[in-house]
Amino acid sequence: MALIELKNLTYHYPLTNSPALQDLDLEVQEGEFLAIVGANGAGKSTLCYTISGFIPHFFKGELAGSVSVAGIDPTKAGLGEFVQKVGLVFQNPFNQISGSKFTVYEEIAFGLENLGIDPAEMRERVDEIIRLTRIEDLKDRSPYALSGGQQQRVALASILVMRPQILVLDEPTSQLDPIGSQEVFQVIKDMALQGMTIIMAEHKVEWVAEFADRILALSAGQAIKLGTPREVLGSPELPEHGIGISRYTQVARKALQAGLWPEKRSMPVTLDECVQGFQEIIA
Amino acid sequence: MPDRLSFFIPRESRVHSLNPLTKLALAFSLIILAFFGPGLFLPVALYFFVLVPLSLLGKVGKEFLQTSFRLLLPLFAFLFVMQSLFYPGGETVIFSFWIFSATSEGVVFAFRTATRILVMVSSFLLLLLTTHPSTLMNDLSRRGVPASLSYIITSTLQIIPQMQARAVTIQDAQRSRGLDTGGNLINRIRSLLPLVGPLVFSSLVDVEERAIAIEARAFTLPVKKTSLIDIPDSRGEAVLRWVMAALSLMTIGYRIWLSLN
Ligand SMILES: Nc1ncnc2c1ncn2[C@@H]1O[C@H](COP(=O)(O)OP(=O)(O)OP(=O)(O)O)[C@@H](O)[C@H]1O
Ligand SMILES: [Mg+2]
Repeated sequence: MALIELKNLTYHYPLTNSPALQDLDLEVQEGEFLAIVGANGAGKSTLCYTISGFIPHFFKGELAGSVSVAGIDPTKAGLGEFVQKVGLVFQNPFNQISGSKFTVYEEIAFGLENLGIDPAEMRERVDEIIRLTRIEDLKDRSPYALSGGQQQRVALASILVMRPQILVLDEPTSQLDPIGSQEVFQVIKDMALQGMTIIMAEHKVEWVAEFADRILALSAGQAIKLGTPREVLGSPELPEHGIGISRYTQVARKALQAGLWPEKRSMPVTLDECVQGFQEIIA
Repeated sequence: MPDRLSFFIPRESRVHSLNPLTKLALAFSLIILAFFGPGLFLPVALYFFVLVPLSLLGKVGKEFLQTSFRLLLPLFAFLFVMQSLFYPGGETVIFSFWIFSATSEGVVFAFRTATRILVMVSSFLLLLLTTHPSTLMNDLSRRGVPASLSYIITSTLQIIPQMQARAVTIQDAQRSRGLDTGGNLINRIRSLLPLVGPLVFSSLVDVEERAIAIEARAFTLPVKKTSLIDIPDSRGEAVLRWVMAALSLMTIGYRIWLSLN
């Protein structure tokens, strides 16, 4: 059985008539990195909340179909079981700070205090995660006195320290500057390489194309494409759904029109593929 | 001082290393004494002979005096003017000025109110200056206070400095877009108005996200929480707390007995 299984999932937020997610089927295997792309309001956050149990436990509304995440069924289990297995990080780094801690170190320990972990083990785990997320230099600073990118890495560390089986990221870099985004992406990449199961809503398609195993494209709550980055991002109908295409694809399309792209070669979605195409035509 | 986002000043002192509940009990019993205890000068005595020495012992004397004066002086001035001039039923006139006359009853009333407020505010100030917000929270929840309640208490203690920081950010943004915030008093007040909308609205929008973030960190998980920072407590302190509770009860009892006779 897959780690995440959604069958025929339809969800309405309370007091709404049109579904935020409709007839969604999705299976994610352990260790997989799935990216979710879609225009504003497509349902990316809604899907993230469903996988992390906040739908239906925090946002009520009407959930139809079946959901199974790491063996938990939200109709039988509470939010408490979800948060021990699924970690959620979202856009606004400032809002993810607990507000009761004085230093980054204590902030990261907050989740472990709530899990009732013994202080000695707590320190070990916090030290380890601080190293992994490369924030050693921040550990005695106030979590409020950090840049967005630093705050977001603290938010990531605070979730990772709880050792979730699945990491759900809802546009974790959309409010960060390029350098901050780069720092956060680096940590996510490390986690993916370590074999963590990752679900990530993200609109930076160039990045997603490079690191995701599969991409799910959403439009108005429905899945319009699910497959490898090349299958999904190379498909011509994406712009109709308001989904940006990779700038490498854009370059290659222009090049094709000008007769500068090998005709049999498919559209590239990553930098490497783009370079290969041009090498072929030059050769 | 590190970034001023909480009142807490991390220093090593006898007051810092008291159990948070002891300090909370002290704050409450001082307030009860100030409001219900006998004598006009009791609150002032509590301030000068208990609170000020404790703030010095806690190595936060400067911050304590500074903050309590800054917060309270304008309030006191206002109280004295209003109450000494307009106190209803004042008969003993001390001096007259145009159509106003200050009565000694009014002055006494203003003094009593002002000194009580002084004790109330500065008791909490002492607690906040010397207590790490999360130790307070963890200690309360360890003693069976519902986690959400202790969270509300500690995060509220932090919200004022946070709102201040946010207000500065919004104002900077508005100023950079050409809003004039300098100049005379009226201009300054007028320039505060556009601040209110974004400040309140952004705070409301954030509430939901914050709740989700805290849930994601297992905040309401029904297990016994542990604490990263060791929270000290001792027999002696427990006894002290009981003594303070008894003293508070006696003070309230005394007040009830007085009003019955
Ligand atoms: N709390 C809510 N109550 C009611 N409707 C909501 C709520 N949150 C989202 N919606 C609606 O559900 C739909 C999907 O929203 P969702 O936030 O999942 O989109 P998204 O893909 O994350 O968009 P964005 O790129 O803006 O983050 C939208 O039509 C939105 O208006
Ligand atoms: Mg979203």
